[in-house]
Amino acid sequence: MPVLNVHGATVSYGGRAVVRGADLAVAPGEAVALMGANGSGKSTLIKAVAGLVPLAGGTIELFGTPRKRFRDWKRVGYVPQRTGAASGVPSTAAEVVSQGRLAHRLIGLPARRADREAVARSLAEVGLADHAHCSVDTLSGGQQQRVLIARALATDPDLLIMDEPTVGVDAETQAALAEVVAARIDAGCAVLLVTHELGPLTDRLDRAVVLADGRVVHDGAPPRPVGEHADPGHEHVHPHPSPHPLPKLDGAAPRISFGNAGGGTDADTWDGR
Amino acid sequence: MNLEQVFGYFEYEFMQRALISALVVGLCAPAVGVFLVQKRLALIGDGLGHIALTGVAIGFLTGAAPLWTTLAVTVAASVVMELLRSHSKTSGDVALAMMFYGGIAGGVYLTGIASDKGVANLQQYLFGSLLTAGWSEVWTIVVGGAVVAALMLVLRPWLTAICADEQYARVSGLPVGALNLLLLVTTAVTVSVSMRAVGLLLVSALLVIPVVTVQQFTRSFKATMFAAMGAGLLIAGTGVLASAAKDVPPGSTIVLIGVAVFVATALLAAVVGRLRRTRRGHLPPEGEPLEVELPAKA
Repeated sequence: MPVLNVHGATVSYGGRAVVRGADLAVAPGEAVALMGANGSGKSTLIKAVAGLVPLAGGTIELFGTPRKRFRDWKRVGYVPQRTGAASGVPSTAAEVVSQGRLAHRLIGLPARRADREAVARSLAEVGLADHAHCSVDTLSGGQQQRVLIARALATDPDLLIMDEPTVGVDAETQAALAEVVAARIDAGCAVLLVTHELGPLTDRLDRAVVLADGRVVHDGAPPRPVGEHADPGHEHVHPHPSPHPLPKLDGAAPRISFGNAGGGTDADTWDGR
Repeated sequence: MNLEQVFGYFEYEFMQRALISALVVGLCAPAVGVFLVQKRLALIGDGLGHIALTGVAIGFLTGAAPLWTTLAVTVAASVVMELLRSHSKTSGDVALAMMFYGGIAGGVYLTGIASDKGVANLQQYLFGSLLTAGWSEVWTIVVGGAVVAALMLVLRPWLTAICADEQYARVSGLPVGALNLLLLVTTAVTVSVSMRAVGLLLVSALLVIPVVTVQQFTRSFKATMFAAMGAGLLIAGTGVLASAAKDVPPGSTIVLIGVAVFVATALLAAVVGRLRRTRRGHLPPEGEPLEVELPAKA
């Protein structure tokens, strides 16, 4: 039984269909990327899965239960598209992460030992154990993003849904996060990752689903980086000029535009135009 | 004016009643206000207070006790506002504007119709009359305040979650709509129960001022909440004492003291912040690496 099964999902905003009849399945323990250009509908599809936008057509099942009747949200960890973890009143990193345990707690009852341990553990997993009692608005953007990922991990999810978790996060942090997520995949957690770029996180993918204009145009092997990005030692950091400023492109694999000066024709990039 | 003379005033029952009401509102209002500030709805207390004027006027008009008509009208308004906010594109901002203007206009209009009945005027409710409140009003405030503070303290983690990140709270399966409604209704109850004694001006100020004052120094939500309740208590108590000493209306004194404390702490926080930046508790954010290809020198 797949942990997530989306069949013919259609979502419209004000009469305009953004997602049109998309199918998507994630098996237990599988890591799937949902990719596509800006405006291709990938974030909207994720929001429909999470129950944040209504479906205009099709069905979504979570753990075999139609989403409308699904109540076991503690099995789902969700990392929203980056908004920053800070808000009107100061909160510590531990307080933000403990929101991830609320689905496990009966309303009105105090946190139990297991809740506190899960919070401490997931903060340690993302490398912020020392920052547990720092106010999140004093943390850097990348650290705030790690707090949001720790919050999703604190639920001990069976399905981890992440909406562009690495946008604006530096390469070092991306690699660290990839390790954290890989550990969860090894432990049997399914991952659905929305992204429009390849990076350390996409190395562990089993499958990629590519959306264009609200439709699924590819469902299969994840695309692979080309050019200098294919070099295993490549760290996506360019503090100094690369010895090969204009790498050769092989054009054979599907390619995502990294905006590097290598160019190539636009037709074979997913950004399309 | 010496201190003995000031404390001498508190042999009078009306001064005791004034002090108790002010202290209870000072302690309980920030407990609700901290969530409103978190949700960026700091002005909602004022908005509901304007609506409450319509409720008071309905009380004048029908001869019913203004407390109950006020409660009914503000609770209904908070329900309508939450429905507007969650089911339409109307922003909280626009809904607030409608409440401000519609509420105060309705209050003045209905009082105008009721004026031939020769009842109290709206001013008493706008600015309150701590000194004329009876014991029954004081007890209503004490009981209402205790219920409100207990609810807010027990539900703190859940209310924080819906105020900080509503979408995430929804995906964690929390009853977001019910909690939002509870918060707004609690605000409505706080405003209408304490309005007669301490005034609309004072209660909406005490929802917000203690919170924004202490949050300049606090790092956690929990600490902000408790410190704001303490600050509210202090500001309200000082205000009543100062007003007795100077023989001026207590409500406005409390608000002015609150504003003064806020301005003073804001200046202090700027200085402390500058000092703290040089030796902070955790490492400063690391500089993000330059993720660009620097052009090779020709």
